[in-house]
Amino acid sequence: MTLQQFTGALGLLALGLANGCGPAQSSPAEPQLVTTASGVSMIVIPAGSFQMGSDEHEADERPRHEVRLGTFLMDQFEVTHDLFVKAQLPNPSCWQDDSRKPVERVRWREAKLYCNERSLMEELTPCYDEAKPGWPCDFNANGYRLPTEAEWEYAARAGSSRLYSFGDVAKLKANGWFADNAGKRTHVVGTRRPNAWGLHDLYGNVSEWCQDVYAPDYYKSSPAHDPLGPAEGIADTKRVMKGGSWKASASMCRASFRKGQRTGDTDACFFTDYCGFRCVRRVMAAEVESFLGKSSPEK
Amino acid sequence: MKPTQHPKTSALLFGVVLFQALTLQAGNVREELAGSKFRLVHEVYANNNWELFVTSADGKSSANLTNTPDVNELYPQASPDGAKICFLVDSGKGRATVRSLWVMNSDGTGRKKVTDRARQQCWAPDSQTIAFLPQEYPKFNVTDYYTKGISFHHLPSGNTREHVNTKPLHHLYNISYAPNGKWIVATVHAGMGHRHTNLLIEANGSKIINLGIDGCRPTFSPDGKHIAWGAGDHELAVVPIDIESDNPKLGKKVFQVFDKQNKIYHVDWSPDGRFLSFSRGPNGKGDITKPGTYEAACEIVGVHAKGWDIFAVKVARGGSVTIGHKPVYDWQPLTRNGYSNKESDWFLPPSK
Repeated sequence: MTLQQFTGALGLLALGLANGCGPAQSSPAEPQLVTTASGVSMIVIPAGSFQMGSDEHEADERPRHEVRLGTFLMDQFEVTHDLFVKAQLPNPSCWQDDSRKPVERVRWREAKLYCNERSLMEELTPCYDEAKPGWPCDFNANGYRLPTEAEWEYAARAGSSRLYSFGDVAKLKANGWFADNAGKRTHVVGTRRPNAWGLHDLYGNVSEWCQDVYAPDYYKSSPAHDPLGPAEGIADTKRVMKGGSWKASASMCRASFRKGQRTGDTDACFFTDYCGFRCVRRVMAAEVESFLGKSSPEK
Repeated sequence: MKPTQHPKTSALLFGVVLFQALTLQAGNVREELAGSKFRLVHEVYANNNWELFVTSADGKSSANLTNTPDVNELYPQASPDGAKICFLVDSGKGRATVRSLWVMNSDGTGRKKVTDRARQQCWAPDSQTIAFLPQEYPKFNVTDYYTKGISFHHLPSGNTREHVNTKPLHHLYNISYAPNGKWIVATVHAGMGHRHTNLLIEANGSKIINLGIDGCRPTFSPDGKHIAWGAGDHELAVVPIDIESDNPKLGKKVFQVFDKQNKIYHVDWSPDGRFLSFSRGPNGKGDITKPGTYEAACEIVGVHAKGWDIFAVKVARGGSVTIGHKPVYDWQPLTRNGYSNKESDWFLPPSK
């Protein structure tokens, strides 16, 4: 896909994030809001580094360590019923009273299938190879995929090193749907405040699948640059979920909280009604230039 | 005055009587099925291909009914009169796969395509009409509840019509027709306002009744007086039902089959209602190195299920059976090769 096709498809929009943008560590640029060819709002997450994990909470969050990531695009909202149906996938969700709600009861494999469907809709190269067992991910493909755990936490923190990007737990009700305010159900996406980078619902509503295999001790040995998680398991390995949900405690919504979740891929019926997701995709250097309004080689 | 007995003698006699009672109640499935003329048609993944096999009721003989190395046949359903079998054919690969509904004589002759993008079919009691679930969207998806509406195909006329109340029927799977033709029982997942349940749907009307039972894949007994279904991954159950009522309700469980280790699925009644068959095997998500298969839970149609076999059990009212490692009196493996044997359907072939 050429840059011209890409920028035309995205319909680049500047987002007034200057006021809300926190002190992103090593961030070369401010985040930008873009709209993809299939009409999905995404945020260009600038490259940078951050402190991942926590030395003060659960054992699997230790040690706190520095991670550096490249630029990537992340969905502004969790994937909704509307988007799932647009991809011609059967909506497995419990709460189907509003199509703007996030999909839940989504198996890990189904989340990956959605990523591939959206890639195909936008004429991108799918990341997941559906012809191979476990559908391995090609991180070099330009299509959509699930975020790595590091990408998710980096985006959720939005430059903050506190428990939540917006500060402490007292502000959680204004910033996310969780057990204390959700009324035991999901809510329409984007109805709580965004974080400093313009991303909604990273704290609560539905927990979000990540690409990584879950290993409690992974942080002790994870690489400092673009960590992809432990090696793939053979069996129905647990995967990382982040962000808490409508039924989670405030502590489970912390940016550094990790949950190992069975994928549901071997279950005929998957009843875990807090499992949702959002997509990311890598962006080429030329694309970043266009996002940031700089010169591009094709201009 | 009654003569006294030594306590040990009493205990021994009680044990003998109890053993005989249990044995009589359970019956000897192997011996009873040995003389049966019933057959079972089921899926087998053989030689890198899905085929339909017909197996004798005692499992001692089995034959490849379709024998089509280039065609993947799945989900066979025998007509109540035993004359015909309708089944699915998967053509193509991945999301471009087309799942179509076919019908043939129960001896394998006279294959004929009914329609494309259809699944989860069953026979109406007249043995001339096939009810099926149209696919939700044109693109293929292996998910069992990937359906929208109910349609009926009348074989003699070749006409297909939608259910009179087809519009709200969404995300149904595993339909089964009541023998009186009045009801269709089905599982619904994430559709019609339900998270997951089993429904009675009026076959020629708009009434829909939530049976309020968990689990999936319900099927009517041949006399319509019971429903058997998978009450969980490791339990099959039977409950009474009054299908003549305008508001049928379920009774309490009268028979259960348990398996503590393996999954048990796809329950089906023998034509005389005395036996149940089911598929049994380990948990898994398939093996997509096998051509014509998909990655999902093993019990899903089209997913390779290594180690899965067909079993039979005798229905003993008021009892339960736990499937273990060795065949005993009340249950019997009908296949033993583990070649993804699934979705069995009993029938009595018509006499020649």
